[in-house]
Amino acid sequence: MSVSNMLENWKNFRHMHPVDDAPHAEYKWAMSIDLDACTGCNACTVACYAENNLPVVGKDKFNAGQQMHWMRIERYWDEDKRDFPDQGAQFLPMMCQHCEAAPCETVCPAGATNHTADGLNSQVYNRCIGSRYCSANCPFKVRYFNWYDYPTTDNVWPAEMTEQLNPDVTVRGKGVMEKCTFCVQRLERAKNNARTEGRLVKDGEVQTACQQACPTNAISFGNLVEPESKVAKQWAHQQVELAREGQAKDEQEGGSKLRGYRIFEELRAYPSVMYLERVRESAI
Amino acid sequence: MHRLLSLFILLAGIFANASVHAADAPPSITTADDLGPVIEQPIEFPHNRHAGLHNPADDADPSKPATGGMEINCMYCHTYARRSMVSGIPPLRKCIGCHQSLPSVRETPRIKKLFEYWDAQKAIPWKKVHDLPDFVRFNHERHIQRFVFAQGKPVQEACGYCHGDVKTMTVARRQKPLSMGWCVSCHEKDHPVDATGTKTSHGPNDCWQCHK
Amino acid sequence: MIENGINRRDFLKVMGWGGAAVALAGCGNTSVQDGKEIVTSYASLDLPEYAIPGISVYFNSTCAQCDAGCNIAGRVREGRVLKLEGNPASPINRGKTCGLGQAGVQAHYNPDRVRQPLLRTGGKTEELAWDKAFALINEKVGGAKGNEVAFLTGGLSGHAKVLFTNYMDALGSKSHYVYEAVAPSVVRAANKKAYGVEMPRLHIDKARVVVSFGADFLGAWVSPVHFSQQYAQFRKGSNGQRGVLVQIESKMTLTGANADRWLAVRPGTEGIVALGVIHALGEAGMSLPADVAALSKAYDAERVSKDTGVSAEQIKKLATLLKERTPSLVIAGSAAEGYAHGSQNAAAIALLNRVLGNIGKTIDAPATVPFPQVAVETGKRSALEALSGSMAGGAVKVLFTYAANPVYSAPAALKFKENLGKVPFKVAFAHFMDETAQEADLVLPLDSAMEEWGTVVPEYMPETAQLNIRQPLMERLHTETRGVGDIMLALLKQSRPNDYKDFDDFYAYLRNAILKNKAALGGAGTDDDTFWMETLSKGIAPMGTAMGKLAATPAASGLSLPAPAEADSAYPLRLIPYVTPNLRDGRHANQPWLQESPDPLTTIVWDTWVEMHPSTAAKLGVVEGDIVEVSSRSGTVQAQAYIFPGIHPDAISMPLGNGHTSMGRWANGVGVNTFALLDQVVDKDTGELALNETQVKVSKTGKRVIVVKDEGFAGGSQAGKKIAVRTSTDKVELTGEV
Repeated sequence: MSVSNMLENWKNFRHMHPVDDAPHAEYKWAMSIDLDACTGCNACTVACYAENNLPVVGKDKFNAGQQMHWMRIERYWDEDKRDFPDQGAQFLPMMCQHCEAAPCETVCPAGATNHTADGLNSQVYNRCIGSRYCSANCPFKVRYFNWYDYPTTDNVWPAEMTEQLNPDVTVRGKGVMEKCTFCVQRLERAKNNARTEGRLVKDGEVQTACQQACPTNAISFGNLVEPESKVAKQWAHQQVELAREGQAKDEQEGGSKLRGYRIFEELRAYPSVMYLERVRESAI
Repeated sequence: MHRLLSLFILLAGIFANASVHAADAPPSITTADDLGPVIEQPIEFPHNRHAGLHNPADDADPSKPATGGMEINCMYCHTYARRSMVSGIPPLRKCIGCHQSLPSVRETPRIKKLFEYWDAQKAIPWKKVHDLPDFVRFNHERHIQRFVFAQGKPVQEACGYCHGDVKTMTVARRQKPLSMGWCVSCHEKDHPVDATGTKTSHGPNDCWQCHK
Repeated sequence: MIENGINRRDFLKVMGWGGAAVALAGCGNTSVQDGKEIVTSYASLDLPEYAIPGISVYFNSTCAQCDAGCNIAGRVREGRVLKLEGNPASPINRGKTCGLGQAGVQAHYNPDRVRQPLLRTGGKTEELAWDKAFALINEKVGGAKGNEVAFLTGGLSGHAKVLFTNYMDALGSKSHYVYEAVAPSVVRAANKKAYGVEMPRLHIDKARVVVSFGADFLGAWVSPVHFSQQYAQFRKGSNGQRGVLVQIESKMTLTGANADRWLAVRPGTEGIVALGVIHALGEAGMSLPADVAALSKAYDAERVSKDTGVSAEQIKKLATLLKERTPSLVIAGSAAEGYAHGSQNAAAIALLNRVLGNIGKTIDAPATVPFPQVAVETGKRSALEALSGSMAGGAVKVLFTYAANPVYSAPAALKFKENLGKVPFKVAFAHFMDETAQEADLVLPLDSAMEEWGTVVPEYMPETAQLNIRQPLMERLHTETRGVGDIMLALLKQSRPNDYKDFDDFYAYLRNAILKNKAALGGAGTDDDTFWMETLSKGIAPMGTAMGKLAATPAASGLSLPAPAEADSAYPLRLIPYVTPNLRDGRHANQPWLQESPDPLTTIVWDTWVEMHPSTAAKLGVVEGDIVEVSSRSGTVQAQAYIFPGIHPDAISMPLGNGHTSMGRWANGVGVNTFALLDQVVDKDTGELALNETQVKVSKTGKRVIVVKDEGFAGGSQAGKKIAVRTSTDKVELTGEV
């Protein structure tokens, strides 16, 4: 099989819906982040530490690139060499994009990262053997590896601090990969409660930790299958479709006046996070 | 290219097969091997006396000690099972609540011990019998809601799927392997989801249901 | 929330695992191990119906991480507080929190907390029982007269403030020094003069243009979570009319980084820009009041441009925008106030609001607190100078410190630590063995905000007056810590036993105080128990709907701005201390999440840095990571250089908050203390320390480090990819967005 042949028959290799190519039945969790509302304040990232038992690695390990922040705020300056960045900075909250055709999944030798029926990209710690192929293959660089056994490392969780750990989330040991889960523990709880009452999870019933903290409500999260959910409406309004590697609106002449986009869409990973472009006033 | 690819697939297949055999020998539901160890508890709690079936012969002479059980619902003591991940160990007050008005057994050795704990206002340090690794999150509520409330199965049967025939035991002892392969052996089968049994589905099989 | 015979403390006790194993060390316990773990339940307790192992309960309380007083809801499970969320019913934070607030649990579970009353004599530290500590205090205050007993506290409000006041009354002392290291105290005074109130309510959400002179309202200024909420609304605007933010400052703050236009102004010339904009508004045909017109006449765009470095074109554009889009809102912030003429800067900025007709529209009077005794008393930096003077003169015999760390944050010129040594008996109420507690003779360990009872009346209340409740979210972690209310009550019982004999503890006092005023707190007609439980469950009690009045109008009389200062040849650069959203005045430095959370602008972690403009750095031959020596007339420190485009070339900036010598394992030895550089220059009108008036020189040491930061080695380049995309209003259709 030649590479060109493989590219021509791409659809046979990359599935929009990895489970038998069947569309999501009840849930497809997705997010949208309004970069015009995001102020880069870091509330989301600290909330993530609190919710997901993330270890604080300290300065030296941070320097070695071993920080464990599942969510980070990337900061960019304009690159046109003006004297001052007089239109401010660009902030971008970046976490696992829960790709529908996730590049990390195909390279895992242990099957430790999979797609769930709800459209999440799962990471199973007890299956992970620490090959780190997934991280190497992730275009967003949002996977974090436990180089050390943080539970037994000094000053990560000294005695009292362990009391704060979220019992719904496993504390990871040495040698496993981890990443944003879209707060799956909250999703599962909401689904569990809904199922007991014989219904589906309602829009707004479940929030991710970052979304709940965000002081400007820049983050929306919900079920893309439910057309009345805020996220589904946002995606629809912005004409961003999950299963495309380039959106129709961008192909029209003169480009689009809508601000929805996904990062590295051209890589055909079909991320579940839509960003809305930051806007600056043209009159000043 | 093609041949190389098929070789790879072949190798991967062998590898995968081997690992399947190593980890998941066909699950056997109750064999002697799966029996957990006998665990010494602070008080030999007689599950059979509380949850066991009533013996009609006992009714003949109430002055004689009963030989059967009292058919107490499991959830009378393990009260959180239907609404939480965990079933809960009953608080001591629950035991005392009944036993303070049961003078007939008040002087038996086990009840004496129970009241010693009560007088000292100390919790009984029960040993955990059905232990799972810390990265496994079994949800009691889901199973009870489905089997007992949606499907109308008797409580003792539903609990018994995982905990074995507790109503015949004194101190509870693990009867099922509680391994992942054993869980999956049930999850992959189609089961009726309602009381009529017309609609069926299998349990969820994505990893994040239990590992998160 | 829990009464009816169930002891609340019991409920908040850490429950046995109750079958819910906490998943610690995921891979440590990987097999089925029957009979190894012990599971217990409660011995004596019948858990209330809603307390279910494995399921969280939320209790409303009030955040203690800064003075904004956000209403929070603590997630409590198995008797442990796990996480803090915002209380959705809060008018302040509307269910939201900031990163600082999230880290509140780390203040509570911090292993470096003080756990025992400590007596320190001649370099020896011994543990002391509480009754002995109280007796000792009684003995010492008995040996001092009136004002010889002094109190140094942070901003105080609520019932703890009442007890402080009463205790001082009992001792006949009026020496209460209220101190906040980085509070907007000049702006408060200028607001009082301009509008008649110290902190008016701002309606950013109603404004179509916001011009902020260095107010970091999204980061660290006054009530950031509330302003962020307003900001989100402001950006959405109504009907697709997106609000426009212009930030004018010398060092880019988080708010500046979010501006549509960020204008780098020569340090100290903010007021001149304001008058320049007024002048340009007049030129553009807006009618100016006579006094304002006379004052601004000299400030034509060209002159202003020359003085401030902001281009004439930019000033005219801003005036046009302000004229076309009303209402607008102009805010004077910490960058403008930090000069010897800080009050004048703020007054000039206030004039702009008058000219634009914003007063009463986007600037509004705050609520009136019907009980002045619980209303907030905000801190001043000048308090420290006054106290330091008294101590130097031997006028202080006993000093109590609470919620302030002056030994760390005082400018070197005050010689605070030295003067503190002249006080014979110093009592520190402390969470940590910080620099001030280290100097104390008696250290009293405080409950964390997740263990204590209390009330808070925030300075900035967006709607009507509210009394925020603080209640324990769990049982004490350490048996020997006490709430500040309980300590003050115990002290009062020694001085005025008869007045306080009815109250066993601060809880009883608080309950009584609130129930006594039930009718005024929205509880008319409900019985005591119901009202108390409702209040605790809401976490907020309304204090009536009375609103104040803006009793003054900004006036031009008496306003004069100095010509821009010439560069000092010995110390050619100006130091702008940066109040970071994470560390603020440094009291949070021992919370590791905040140390590891990158500074939003530089993305630097776990350190202090020296920000300089690329052109300044080129002149000095400095590159990123060079260890530079920064010297002022008051001190010298060494820190890593970071080349930062968002700063005026005449200035450098260093963050406050790090450089602790005594606080805890995560804070000690991290970075340097920027406070140590500050010159004791004060604002002429208010006597408040002018934070931006320190002149420094910078030299290379020849040493170099790798700057530990999150932006990566490419310095945050997008490499031509479509990653963080920006568009402009003329290229985008915002109407109809969901």
